[in-house]
Amino acid sequence: MKRALSALLLMIVGVLAAAGAHAAELQVPKQVTAGNAFSIPTTGSGSATFYLVGPSHSAKRQVKLGSGIEVAEDEIRTSGRYIATLCSSDGCESADFFVAATNPAHLSLLVHPSRVRVATNNAMSAVAFVFDKFHNLVLQPVPVEFHITVKDTPAFSKSLNSSNGVAWLHLNSARKEGPAQVVASIQSDSEKRVVQQVASDACNLRIRAVRKGKFIAVETEPVRDCSGNSVPDGTVVTFTKVDASGKTTVDAPVKRGIAKVDMPAQGEATISVASGVAMGNEVRIGGTP
Amino acid sequence: MGLRNLCLGAALVVAVSLVSPHWTAWAADALPQVQLNADSIAPRQIEELTGRNITRDYAYAWQTLAVALDQNRPHLLEGFFTGFAKEKFARAIADQKKNGLHVRYVDHGHKVNAFFYSPNGDAIQLRDNAQLEIQVFDGTKMIRQEQVGLHYLVIMTPAADRWVVRSLEAVPNF
Repeated sequence: MKRALSALLLMIVGVLAAAGAHAAELQVPKQVTAGNAFSIPTTGSGSATFYLVGPSHSAKRQVKLGSGIEVAEDEIRTSGRYIATLCSSDGCESADFFVAATNPAHLSLLVHPSRVRVATNNAMSAVAFVFDKFHNLVLQPVPVEFHITVKDTPAFSKSLNSSNGVAWLHLNSARKEGPAQVVASIQSDSEKRVVQQVASDACNLRIRAVRKGKFIAVETEPVRDCSGNSVPDGTVVTFTKVDASGKTTVDAPVKRGIAKVDMPAQGEATISVASGVAMGNEVRIGGTP
Repeated sequence: MGLRNLCLGAALVVAVSLVSPHWTAWAADALPQVQLNADSIAPRQIEELTGRNITRDYAYAWQTLAVALDQNRPHLLEGFFTGFAKEKFARAIADQKKNGLHVRYVDHGHKVNAFFYSPNGDAIQLRDNAQLEIQVFDGTKMIRQEQVGLHYLVIMTPAADRWVVRSLEAVPNF
């Protein structure tokens, strides 16, 4: 009986000793906010090695069991999944936790294209990505304000909530050429992009023609698009002349708003003009006076 | 003659490895399986070729990330990571190196759902259900092994000749 009691006592002492040296199960929060330090409680006694493996950080250090393991602010700045492991002489215990982005602080804005024709529906798009101060994508909905200004045109604003870190919208181009300023903003940051709105295709082409000896001088009126914007210099205008000698075509670029050309002609001639898909008027010139 | 051919072959392998530092790493591991579903993508539909390229490049990204984290070779991230994603993983590898750690990913495949494709095709967002075995090593001693299904939220953007990962973040759920 005495022996049995001694054996039992020894067993209990052994189990207690083993429990004392053993690293207890790690208790970590399921989720923490990026950059917020926290402590992992431990039980037991003796020393152990603590490992922290995350998306942008890995650490290894000696810790004392029975006291808290401090996870510093700079160890959990990146959102994602972390694995905390504590290894003592008896083995290793692990637990995982997630770090979520903190408050929105930065915007990244993509606006396309950089040049766009006037008066076109859904011609531009603006996509804003919302990040926190550690450049983690903020997945919670965040109101993003889009503000578009064009000279001599009323400004346009729209507020959208981001979804999975992204807010976006389509934009129509204005009727008047010039820069469009696209600004996306959150409470703490804003980003600006400029889109150049340029004239569209020529519209309502008009020409006049004057005979000058063996030539006919043909000249357009100022070439504009359907919204009244001057087409850019270099836009090609095609003049076609039909006379007794046949059909002649000449391409001429717009210079300072007009395109002109001198065409040789025999007798009566008919001259027409086109640019891109736009046709202009037709002019008939009589024979040599 | 045989020895000469062998030398030429060896020289060719060395030359290829020098030209493409990623080649030897890629050759070592099979490409992870990636299944892309873009049925619910918005606001723009994904072109068939783009879908194939994204699938291929996302698989390459995981393959190179796994090798980079296992062998502590940050330069492998150059190929398929950019921006903050590249910086963050490079920092993790630098820390691993400093502490004598490395992490091995045994990749059992990715079911990827593409849900946002920007109107001009300059960014795509993916939800990835990844099946992974993760092993954490201190030197040669494995201190943690787990079989996990993880959710990743991904942003990829087009580069010169491929799609690259700009953000890769594990989230508790979608």
